[in-house]
Amino acid sequence: MNSQNTAPKVMKETKNSIRVEFDRTSKKERFRIKYLSGSFIVGVIWAIFRYVLLIGLAYVVLMPFFSKVTGSFMSPEDFIDVTVKYIPKYPTLDTYKAIIAESGYWEACLNTLALSLFCGVVQTFICSLIGYAFAKFKFKGSSLLFLLVVLTMVIPHQTLQLSMFMRFRYFDILGIFNFLGGGVTESIEILRFTSINLNNTYWPLALLSLTGLAYRNGLYIFMMRQFYRGVPDELEESAYLDGCGTMMTYFRIIIPLSIPMMITIFLFAFCWQWTDDFYTTVFFTSSGMKLMPDIIMTPKSLDTDFAASDLYISAIRNTCGLMIILPLIVVYLFGQRYLVQGIERSGIVG
Amino acid sequence: MNNVQQAPQTIAAAPKKKKKSSSLDAKKSRMGWVFVLPFIIGFVIIYAPIVYDSILYSFTKINIVTGGGYRLTWVGLENYQEALFVDPTFVTTLTSGIKQLIFDIPAIVIFSLFMAVMMNTKMIGRAAFRAIFFIPVILSTGLIDKIDQSNQMLNYMNDTSSVDMGDGGSSNTTEIISSMDIQRLFQNMVIGEDLLDYVVGLVNDIYDIINRSGVQMLIFLAALQSISPAIYESCSIDGATTWETFWKITLPMISPMILVNTVYTVIDAFTSADNQVMNYIETVYDQPGGNVLSSAMSWMYFIIVMLIIAAVAGVLSAYTFYQRQER
Repeated sequence: MNSQNTAPKVMKETKNSIRVEFDRTSKKERFRIKYLSGSFIVGVIWAIFRYVLLIGLAYVVLMPFFSKVTGSFMSPEDFIDVTVKYIPKYPTLDTYKAIIAESGYWEACLNTLALSLFCGVVQTFICSLIGYAFAKFKFKGSSLLFLLVVLTMVIPHQTLQLSMFMRFRYFDILGIFNFLGGGVTESIEILRFTSINLNNTYWPLALLSLTGLAYRNGLYIFMMRQFYRGVPDELEESAYLDGCGTMMTYFRIIIPLSIPMMITIFLFAFCWQWTDDFYTTVFFTSSGMKLMPDIIMTPKSLDTDFAASDLYISAIRNTCGLMIILPLIVVYLFGQRYLVQGIERSGIVG
Repeated sequence: MNNVQQAPQTIAAAPKKKKKSSSLDAKKSRMGWVFVLPFIIGFVIIYAPIVYDSILYSFTKINIVTGGGYRLTWVGLENYQEALFVDPTFVTTLTSGIKQLIFDIPAIVIFSLFMAVMMNTKMIGRAAFRAIFFIPVILSTGLIDKIDQSNQMLNYMNDTSSVDMGDGGSSNTTEIISSMDIQRLFQNMVIGEDLLDYVVGLVNDIYDIINRSGVQMLIFLAALQSISPAIYESCSIDGATTWETFWKITLPMISPMILVNTVYTVIDAFTSADNQVMNYIETVYDQPGGNVLSSAMSWMYFIIVMLIIAAVAGVLSAYTFYQRQER
């Protein structure tokens, strides 16, 4: 009883004594203790080492990028001039202007934005759903199913290119449409179709995203599964006890937990869909919708022939590439703010 | 008295609880099917038929019919035999490709983990560094990769690098360091010739390694973000150093993602466009009558990849820590 009463008093005293001690020591002494201690010096050395390493590696990454950026501002004269290497002598914005004017940049940007946003959101959600099932539910054949997920990751989609094109060109669900078209609905003129051509629409990519089969979705499922396996079961159990259903638990408890992981997956999905040239060239013919691959071309006003025109044209292509990834870097800078916010994962530790 | 009274109650409650939990399990397993339903539908309707076609081709020979169209003839394992025993370079390409990969995996995974840990610590310019190391993720896929393959600008810039040297040094300037530099450094350490070559190879390939570890870096970063700060706090209160915290807390907590990253690295290395085995399979595809042969080769290749993944995953999952009780 007595000790409980005196406890705060003692703490107050120590606090005061610390303050008195602090005031007594001179400024010089305080600085000496703070900055000449071992841990501080180790910290400084570690920070220097870290910055040297990071800046060096950043140089390795940025150098090719930098050469592309400077190349995009060069005019044809700079390519003939041998003394010009990185810094253009006659800087110009003609390349950018020509690309925006002639290749329909904004239209392609909007179309790709719609496609990438849709695919990114859907893939993130679906993969998290599937990954959650693999992590937390034990059902018959779950390991076999997971093997199939890994299989979809391992088989490169390039090898399936032709059959994938054919499947969406003559889209049919287990022969149902064919059956309807051939037998039942033959008498009705409007309904007489054997299959649907889904190419040149968003449908093939939407279907692949909705079923978790799009580009590298196996990786996302695997990531989510591993993440959810690390989430303690007690969280869900307490939710069940409070009367939540499985779906409710998933939406209320699990999704808020997995925000950093889901943002990472969304970034991957969005960026890879944005710069994708495989699916867009398979499913979209050139006459159809304008998408990002259509931007890479040499604008007619810049198509000239001179001694270094090869270099000039590759510089133009690089500029196209830069204009494609520029929005992505903006998106990343926006997204990584949320990535930085580490979340308190759970009340349960250990 | 209290204890005695409670005892029968718990005994009586035990069977009841067991019954209830089994029904919950059944319910949960049903929900599991609901959750994976999208994938099952997609796999059955879209993916399986596509893969089936491809497997079918590997057991056949395609004859182009003059009137248009083609006819498939069943030849059994002939294509596989041709790939393994008749084709002169397939087996050597395969073995050298796999050997290269086994050296690359640890380098990429360890490098990306190191970078992720470094970029997770608080420092000035963290956002900028994160953005910079995100660039390879965009640059190494799809359109930009395609542009880079025919990029004469880069070649031009690299070609003239000897001019910058000034002294006109005859050593090949494309390599960042030569084996000699490191040899001097490691002269007195007994680490063996092979390890030396390995390290030199890694340093010279640093651009390649950075480019290939962007994805892994982000995955690790996300995993590091989701570790509860409370654990670190309690550790530092208990007096653990940063070094101990890394090995005892960080590493176990992100070990599920180490498994993911290793498997992903294997897959990425095996299926990337600049993989020599994939390149070889593609050149075979363009030869006359090579399309069925290449399909047989790719199926053999996939089986090997799956075996390697199974081995890697098997070894790693023994050391993987999950923050939950296994039942």
